[in-house]
Amino acid sequence: MKLSHVNYIVLLIILVTGIWTFWGAQNDKTMQLYIGVATAITYVIWGMLYHSLEGDLHPKVVIEYCLVGMIAIVLLLTILWT
Amino acid sequence: MEHFLRHFFVPHRSNNHRAKALHLDSMLCYVLLFAIFNFGVRIVHREFPNVLGYATDIRVDQLLSGTNAQRQSLGLSPLTYNVTLSQAAALKAQDMFQNNYWAHNSPQGKTPWTFIQAAGYTYTVAGENLAKNFSTSQGVIDAWMASPTHRDNIVKPSYQDIGFAIVNGVLNGEETTLVVQMFGAGGSKLADEKPVQTVVTEKAAVVEVNQEQSQLGEQTSKDVEEQVVPPTEIVPVAQAEPTPILNVLSTMFSSVIQTPKINIPTVTRDVAFLFMGLLIGILVIDGIVVSRKKIVRVTGHNLGHILFFTAFFIALTIVRRGVLL
Repeated sequence: MKLSHVNYIVLLIILVTGIWTFWGAQNDKTMQLYIGVATAITYVIWGMLYHSLEGDLHPKVVIEYCLVGMIAIVLLLTILWT
Repeated sequence: MEHFLRHFFVPHRSNNHRAKALHLDSMLCYVLLFAIFNFGVRIVHREFPNVLGYATDIRVDQLLSGTNAQRQSLGLSPLTYNVTLSQAAALKAQDMFQNNYWAHNSPQGKTPWTFIQAAGYTYTVAGENLAKNFSTSQGVIDAWMASPTHRDNIVKPSYQDIGFAIVNGVLNGEETTLVVQMFGAGGSKLADEKPVQTVVTEKAAVVEVNQEQSQLGEQTSKDVEEQVVPPTEIVPVAQAEPTPILNVLSTMFSSVIQTPKINIPTVTRDVAFLFMGLLIGILVIDGIVVSRKKIVRVTGHNLGHILFFTAFFIALTIVRRGVLL
């Protein structure tokens, strides 16, 4: 199995776990926010590890993953708190 | 126009082979724009609640008929609306706003039974369901019935009386619509009184609660809570006559009806989901074009971003305004 396949399987596990726990915390919006932030941070770490393993980790890539995570969090805040 | 669209959405020489919408500066703009949007919604809501607000239509008569419909569908006797229990519910709701908590027991140690007794209802068995931030009466009933513990209260055969309070106020710094449902059996002098049908706009309630609330800190969001614990203790207390003030309370808190021109949950969801859909679409187009042209560039993986945003899209569809504890 190729490395990229393993990486994407890991990502799928992270995301499915995130959705599952998020669903389980339906009655606690604060907990949902924590789960969303944790999933976003995990995704950023996953992205950095993936690029590091592929040997093309660049500061621009790190910033991109951080911004993607921030977009997701701000959208989560939009839905949860307004 | 065509050039602009291509520059913004499709990888091309003009955008260094990465859709401009996916450049780092564009992404930073999205974060800032959504932050401004969120603050803007809050400010406009605070200044013009009739224009931008939370559409709500919850009434005691609908809650009563909805609750009894559920009981009767199971062959149980309908519950009788009880003014004294409604007064207890109103006291409980007021206490939650005053002391800024969202729980069955107050930080001062008051239980639901404290309020039931304070209102003058003598019970042999009693229970409480709580809900917050639902938009409609049916939404509250559906949520309670979907929760086993809340459902147990609604379909408990030993209950005879029921009371409600629907109150709008500020909890944890958030505008909150509380629904308190109290059950009981054991008798009360006012047990056979008819439901309060008076529709009072929530304005009066909001003002009253907010005044008290402003002296305290803050508290939370918009959901539904419940209390399952039906005490079985017999309270040997003489039946107290509800005071006129308590009667006024139960009448004031018989409904919350708000019809703003723009409903905040609708507009925020539409904007957020439209944006996420658009972003996923741009990532897909960008990925396909780059893959076909075999362009090598230093960026994150589009497939990862697509999976990540899709997961958030799914998660956000789960979010509901009303919540059960």
